[in-house]
Amino acid sequence: MTATTTTGSELVRSPGPAERNPVATGRQRTRRELALGIAIPVAILLLWQVAAYGDWIDRRIYPAPDRIVATGIDLAKSGALWDAFSLTAYRVLFGWFLGVVAGIGVGVVMGSSRWVRKALEPTLDALYVVPKLALLPVFINLFGLDEGPKIALVSVTVFFFVWISTMTAVMAVPVGYHDTGRVFGAGRWRMFRHVTGPAILPQVFVALRVAAGVAVLVIVAAEFIVGTTGLGYLIFNSRSLLLNDRMYVGIVVVALFGVVFAEIVRRIGNWVMPWAPGDAHPTGQ
Amino acid sequence: MTDSATWQISCRGTTRRFGRRKKVLEALGPVDIDVPAGQFVALVGPSGCGKSTLLRIIAGLTRPSDGEVRVKATKATPIAMVFQDYGVYPWKTVIANVRFGLDCAGVASSEADTRARDWLDRTQLSDFADAWPDQLSGGMRQRVALARALVTEPEVLLLDEPFAALDSQLRAVMQDELLALTQARDHQPTVVMVTHSLEEAALLADRVVVLSARPGTVLVDREMPFGRPRSPELRDAPEFSEVQRDLWAILRNEVVSTLPEGAAK
Repeated sequence: MTATTTTGSELVRSPGPAERNPVATGRQRTRRELALGIAIPVAILLLWQVAAYGDWIDRRIYPAPDRIVATGIDLAKSGALWDAFSLTAYRVLFGWFLGVVAGIGVGVVMGSSRWVRKALEPTLDALYVVPKLALLPVFINLFGLDEGPKIALVSVTVFFFVWISTMTAVMAVPVGYHDTGRVFGAGRWRMFRHVTGPAILPQVFVALRVAAGVAVLVIVAAEFIVGTTGLGYLIFNSRSLLLNDRMYVGIVVVALFGVVFAEIVRRIGNWVMPWAPGDAHPTGQ
Repeated sequence: MTDSATWQISCRGTTRRFGRRKKVLEALGPVDIDVPAGQFVALVGPSGCGKSTLLRIIAGLTRPSDGEVRVKATKATPIAMVFQDYGVYPWKTVIANVRFGLDCAGVASSEADTRARDWLDRTQLSDFADAWPDQLSGGMRQRVALARALVTEPEVLLLDEPFAALDSQLRAVMQDELLALTQARDHQPTVVMVTHSLEEAALLADRVVVLSARPGTVLVDREMPFGRPRSPELRDAPEFSEVQRDLWAILRNEVVSTLPEGAAK
């Protein structure tokens, strides 16, 4: 929006629609944003549906959305979908939780203590760049073939995201905040509880959201590689059996799960940080 | 009021509200002010009276809720603005910051460089051309901001509490420098400055406009009885103190009215 119109050699600053009728403009904007958010995916689905039935694309490889929904309902009725989903969700949530706790803990300690940072940073930096999936065989050796290696893989992936964000956030806390705390005699715990903790929360929550998405990504890959359970297995197993509609059911459920998970984390963040600008209000203001 | 032929900035019934529905805040106005070309106007008023909002409306950064503001212009970007803070980019060297406006206007690189160096000279920043803003003191950073605004040779210069973040001695020095800069050439921009300091207003401005507590309306609009060119010694003149005292008598009531009941008597 530019607030400038030129008439001849004059700049005129005058009220725009948002100023003349703020309530209606705000409502209209909310409606438009909502409509856009819904219209785009709906349009894509429609296009897909039309393309499938118009034989522009091969229906055996790209089944139409209505077929996928029907297959999804069948799978859900048989209980197979729930079994796969609940296992995947359990692995993601449990692994994410462990990784978050460890990441925040190590991040805070390393951010606060120069000594610990100097001692651990080179090692962690080196491990950070190792593709975590490459560690899966190691975790299998360590934890056997059950849930252990998959949860460990998710935890480790999440850990690195959260650790690095937390550590840099702690180091970036303005000195003035700490000085004020020190002048008023805050000890280690109070300093964390009243100053460092809240100061790093916004950045930590961004990491938690990113990690939520990555956790889903990693678990799907892991389920494909080991074992015979979970949504990842469902997707890749269906693919090899040429059950493409079942494959898409798996993909859609995984996507929905990731979106809902990340959204829940975001809402928790906005709720815990009422002072932060946040991005909960799509209409701004 | 001046007749319509000579004004450069004209505010007519300018009003601004923030928020909507139950949380509407009347921030400013209605305000009617005409600023003739070449005049230096200072806006003073209690915190939250909307003086910065008025400046932002003139700059085109905010729209008025009612009324309008007209700015006469001959150039494509006739306005330059100095902000209290955050205006100087930490990722640009001093000279790159000063050149910013020229670069945005697409001025040829060699010309931009010459003009920028000229202004670095006038603001005594030449030795710091390649320094990063973070290596400079607050006073020097504001000098960079001033040079960046003046190098574009604006028709209208907007100053939003330009020296508020400086200590009082440095502030006095910067006021002297700004006084010299705004009197140095024959072609002077029209200046609107928002400030909390009556001394700053009286020293630098031809005319001081006192705004009331929120929503800000014009309480007093007074020409300063001092000729040009002025020197910093004007501060010691008895008339100078008298003018300040008069303005403070008016402003004080407004400031007190913004405090909780009974907080100041």
